Amino acid sequence: MRVDPNYVTNLVGALDSTQANEQQLTSELSSGVRVNTLSQDPVAAGENVLLLSQIHQDDSFTQSASLVTGGLQVADSALGSVVSQLTSAISLATSANNGTLSPADVKSVGNQISGILTEVQSLANTNYQGQYIFAGGQSSTSPFTTSSATTPATTTYHGDSDVNYLVAPGGQKIQLNVPGNQIFTGSGTNNVFAALNNLVADYSSGTVNTNQAVTDTNALGTALGYVTQQRVVVDNSINQLGAVGDAMTSAQTQLVGAQTNLMQADVAQVSTQLSLSETQQTALEDVIAQLNNSSNSLFSKIQA
Amino acid sequence: MGTISAAFSLMSQALDADQSALNTVANNVANANTVGYTEETPTWRENAPIIVNGVAYGTGVSETGPTSVRDSVLTERLDQQQQLASASSTRLTSLNSIQALFTPDTGAAKTTAGDIGDDLTNFFSSFTSLEANPTDSALRQQVLSTGAILSGDVSDAAQSLNTQRSALDQEAAGVTSQVNSLTSAIAQLNTQIESTSPNADAGTLEDQRQQDLSQLSQLVGINQITTGSNGLAVTTTSGQLLVSEGQSIPVTTGTSGGMTHFFIGTTDVTSDLASGGGELGGYLTARDTDVPTVLASLDQLAYSVSTNVNALNNAGTDQAGDTGDSGYIFAQPTQVAGSAAAMTVVMTNPNNIAAASAGQGTGDNSNAIAMANLVSQKFVNNMTPTDFYSNLVTTLGATVSGVQTENTAQNASVTQLQTQNNALSAVNLNDEASNMTTLERSYQAASQVFTMLNSILQSALNLGQSTTVS
Repeated sequence: MRVDPNYVTNLVGALDSTQANEQQLTSELSSGVRVNTLSQDPVAAGENVLLLSQIHQDDSFTQSASLVTGGLQVADSALGSVVSQLTSAISLATSANNGTLSPADVKSVGNQISGILTEVQSLANTNYQGQYIFAGGQSSTSPFTTSSATTPATTTYHGDSDVNYLVAPGGQKIQLNVPGNQIFTGSGTNNVFAALNNLVADYSSGTVNTNQAVTDTNALGTALGYVTQQRVVVDNSINQLGAVGDAMTSAQTQLVGAQTNLMQADVAQVSTQLSLSETQQTALEDVIAQLNNSSNSLFSKIQA
Repeated sequence: MGTISAAFSLMSQALDADQSALNTVANNVANANTVGYTEETPTWRENAPIIVNGVAYGTGVSETGPTSVRDSVLTERLDQQQQLASASSTRLTSLNSIQALFTPDTGAAKTTAGDIGDDLTNFFSSFTSLEANPTDSALRQQVLSTGAILSGDVSDAAQSLNTQRSALDQEAAGVTSQVNSLTSAIAQLNTQIESTSPNADAGTLEDQRQQDLSQLSQLVGINQITTGSNGLAVTTTSGQLLVSEGQSIPVTTGTSGGMTHFFIGTTDVTSDLASGGGELGGYLTARDTDVPTVLASLDQLAYSVSTNVNALNNAGTDQAGDTGDSGYIFAQPTQVAGSAAAMTVVMTNPNNIAAASAGQGTGDNSNAIAMANLVSQKFVNNMTPTDFYSNLVTTLGATVSGVQTENTAQNASVTQLQTQNNALSAVNLNDEASNMTTLERSYQAASQVFTMLNSILQSALNLGQSTTVS
């Protein structure tokens, strides 16, 4: 049987492909990345896009969560101060209502409650990073102003009822603000400013209409309870942010693990393959060298 | 009755024949490494006997010239397989440079087309950040800068693809001059072969024609049809005549729609050549199918992202309180084609980003939520933008990997056919050595017989005396 006399060329071709394989393995080892081109593993390359997208969405949410936590904590502490201010207003009013105070003292109580009113209003106008946090969507303007043109004075809300949310990658909506009208100027007896303004008017003359003053004091008590309820909404958001943030961080750890498994070179496996490839290369080189040494034709045996 | 002088003549012919055969062997050895050379064997023919008084006497041997050892079916199969292999290898080269644009993202920050998936996420995530504080100018600026990175990567990728496409176009056009010079060479050889060797293998001329055909089939997909008098007709795989015996029909080029089209006579054969094989087939498949597929996906992505983000932004309320005319973030595309290359951020003032919904105060973030939500909405060909990009990457990778496998298989098949053909037609030095030894011995034997005859004739001339002629 005749064979291809140029078979050494094929051996050299095999040597070339072994070297190409070694080059590929070496680049995997040096870069640590298993998939350097799409065609090496198209499915892994596509999956990598999705995993990185989720990782970055989680990452971005975690960052946003830390940004909003500051604002929510400011809101929480402002409402805490409001609660303590209102509590002291109630105890002042109660002492004025029991009929033992002189008219001058009653006036002084009226002045103190007026001071508390100013303080609560300024808390309701709390500004965080340039934004009025109790103004709903109208966060660029101060939400509460009081006009003393009427008696009792009137506190007006200039914001709106807009509620902002932060949406987590999983779709959970976390409430970021409570509009001022929901906290301070609720309907009926839930209106903090109306109750305070009424009390200031009740004590301004020094003589107390006890029945009216007691009704107004009770109204302030109800309003205080309402503010406390709204504060719970803020606290819930802070807790929810923490919980969702923790969940995101642990999901992110899992995702990074999956992405690493998918894309990173298995050093032990690649090294083994490299070593096998090197052995093959040495064998091929030896064969080619051997073929070159042995006289590759009958011509060398012919004696002239 | 045979005579000594007849035997002399017979032996001198045998010596001539041996010399001629040795010449053939020498020619084989000399051409052992010549590309396209087909091994030749001496053709021996027994001379017609002469009949004297009813008795037939042999008149020796003639050597009628070398014959090429060729299997035309095998060489034609080799040519066909070579045109497939060269088409897929050309296509693979261009696919490799396409996929080089989309190097898998490692998560490290850099800006290449491979990061488009990341860019999309970062762009939509910038709206999630904006949810946290819709009036913050740094967060607003971040929306524009992530948008610029996204549009930059998309348009760079699209422009690179367009550049590759015109490069492929030029390469394809360049192939035609080689094709035309080969077809005219084949036509000339046809004429020579038909006149010198109409009924038998034309040896060296045939080698040359075979070599030209082999080169031609690497450039373009062809069919070969043997015609009378050892001529040859060559057509493209779809049947357009390139060479008809002594005449060659040139492939001409013309521009249509910004791309080179190929004509034989007045027929536009561009799509036939694309599916025909050869380098030209590979270039045209890459130019007309592979690059446009990726480009169309990028266009679709750019178009959907730009129009959807623009529509939401324009409908919302921006930082200045404008509702319904906040403007566009990206250049608004008018059609899908070309959207990717033209993708760019046109908004310069971050305060024009409409984080608030229509009718809401500037502190509202519900429009920012709507835009951030786009990342999980199926608005690009019924897929989310990230899924769409992931799909693009997987499809491209699978195409490259498929062509790679195809190319490896075709190359293996070419190697196998090449080995078979070499086994038959290449010069085997061992065979030549053995042939030479045989011919040497035969020549020595003939010489010896000649000497013996000489001695016998000497005896006859001297009539038994050993002095007159020596």
